[in-house]
Amino acid sequence: MSTLTLGIIVIIYIFLIAYLGYLGYKKTNSASDYLLGGGKTNPIIMALSYGATFISASAIVGFGGVAATYGMGIQWLCLLNMLVGVVIAFIFFGRRTRKLGATYNSRTFAQLLGTHYGSRTIQVFVAVVIFIGMPIYASVVMKGGAVFIEQMFDIDLDLALLLFTVVVATYVITGGIKGVMYTDAMQAIIMFACMLFMLFWFYNVMDLGFVEANEKLTSIAPLVPERLRELGHQGWTAMPITGSPQWYTLVTSLILGVGIGCLAQPQLVVRFMMVDSTKQLNRGVLIGCLFLIVTVGAIYHVGALSNLFFLKADGVVASEAVKDMDKIIPLFIKRAMPDWFGAVFMLCILSASMSTLSAQFHTMGAAFGADAFPKLGKKKNPNSTMGVRFGVLCAIILSYMICYILSDSIIARGTALFMGVCAATFLPTYFCALYWKRATRQGALASLWVGVVTSLFAMAFLHKAEAAPLGFCQMIFGQDVLIDVYPWYAIDPILFALPLSTLTIIVVSLRTKPMIAKD
Amino acid sequence: MFGINDPGIWIIYLLAFLCLGFSIWFGIKYWNYDEESSNSSKSDKI
Repeated sequence: MSTLTLGIIVIIYIFLIAYLGYLGYKKTNSASDYLLGGGKTNPIIMALSYGATFISASAIVGFGGVAATYGMGIQWLCLLNMLVGVVIAFIFFGRRTRKLGATYNSRTFAQLLGTHYGSRTIQVFVAVVIFIGMPIYASVVMKGGAVFIEQMFDIDLDLALLLFTVVVATYVITGGIKGVMYTDAMQAIIMFACMLFMLFWFYNVMDLGFVEANEKLTSIAPLVPERLRELGHQGWTAMPITGSPQWYTLVTSLILGVGIGCLAQPQLVVRFMMVDSTKQLNRGVLIGCLFLIVTVGAIYHVGALSNLFFLKADGVVASEAVKDMDKIIPLFIKRAMPDWFGAVFMLCILSASMSTLSAQFHTMGAAFGADAFPKLGKKKNPNSTMGVRFGVLCAIILSYMICYILSDSIIARGTALFMGVCAATFLPTYFCALYWKRATRQGALASLWVGVVTSLFAMAFLHKAEAAPLGFCQMIFGQDVLIDVYPWYAIDPILFALPLSTLTIIVVSLRTKPMIAKD
Repeated sequence: MFGINDPGIWIIYLLAFLCLGFSIWFGIKYWNYDEESSNSSKSDKI
């Protein structure tokens, strides 16, 4: 397909996005509209937006590449996404969050926790963690989208990144959460249709059935590259050797980090506060699960099976055909799918990236303008959203700059890293706000500190995957990690940071004076 | 099962399909169920 045709398709898509952003702008009349969509969002739009926000280019490009390299073990993440990210999140977290948010009239995740525990410090703490931590996640999502544009259009990565950022920035800053939700819903439909088509086309082009393709993938296990075999790889339809480095990366970082971390994602939690009754959340369970199994399930499945395609086309497996994991899926789409689908799939990647990014930028902007500096820009008009819009702009610039210091194959790990920090820091406090009345302000604050400090300490000094490239430990102690004994340096921080922060909120709460019940 | 020998993998597919089945059942059964209006109607009756 010519670059001109591709360009026309993208321009039409951008016009559609611009129109939906404009629609959001027209329907935004107050700060509540800008932050929560007035609390009366359509359940289908909410569920599609939740799913689209959940599934970023990281899930498709990054984790799809992980599936191609490490195999179908990553499907555990798809299962956790459905079970934890939708069923448990909507039924056990969503209902109570919506109720609590309505009771406190909260507009952000930080405000929800701050108001519940009656602490402005907690609100600001949560906002600061979001505003400082989320740009890392946002930048890997940006990179995922830009890498794909670079591959499809054969243009410079810097230009791709700049264009991509400008488009998202425009509709988030102007349209607020309504603009974000409308565009998310359209993007979710594109993603759903693309993944479904990709799945069917793969079987068609390979002329294989579901079981037959799996059997063939099992039979090529001896072709696992030596460098991966040494890490514990046993084939693409088998889990890595238990306790091997690959097993620790797959299970503790990617599966548990993202699978549990999604429960305490601020940009997802606020979606529960956007609907006006629990029936919208009940409907969301069905829509969300169906969306995730088709989108995430399909890309992980086809990602692993792409080894069969590369073997047929080039005589080597995917990780040998492309060394950078993040570039496997873009290349696979370019070569295995019909020309016209390459353009449509690019829209799918753009959609996945934009929907997640827009929600992240909005959340960071809200953390800055509504939580950390609530009086910013409100001297003349108390209902002004200028502070949040300024926060969104700062978040975009920060994320854009981080993109330039990211290394190769970072997309999946960067996502897991942020989700892990969120889980360790926010989850105990958030869960106790919903379910444990005995939790106290002091307990919550101590748990937040323990969660974030333990996570950051582990990343800087214990977990080799982050500690080695960061270099702090090397600089201070002259070695990559403090405990250079396997498997300690391979265990993801979430495995001890989350239990520690959970223990902290329990112990400190029980040792401090109970809070007076608000209701 | 499903052409996959390792139970650590095929069980994921089985559980994912079960999870989808549950979500379809739950979504349809509680499509119009609102916890709060249900609770308030119960308290009205009391």
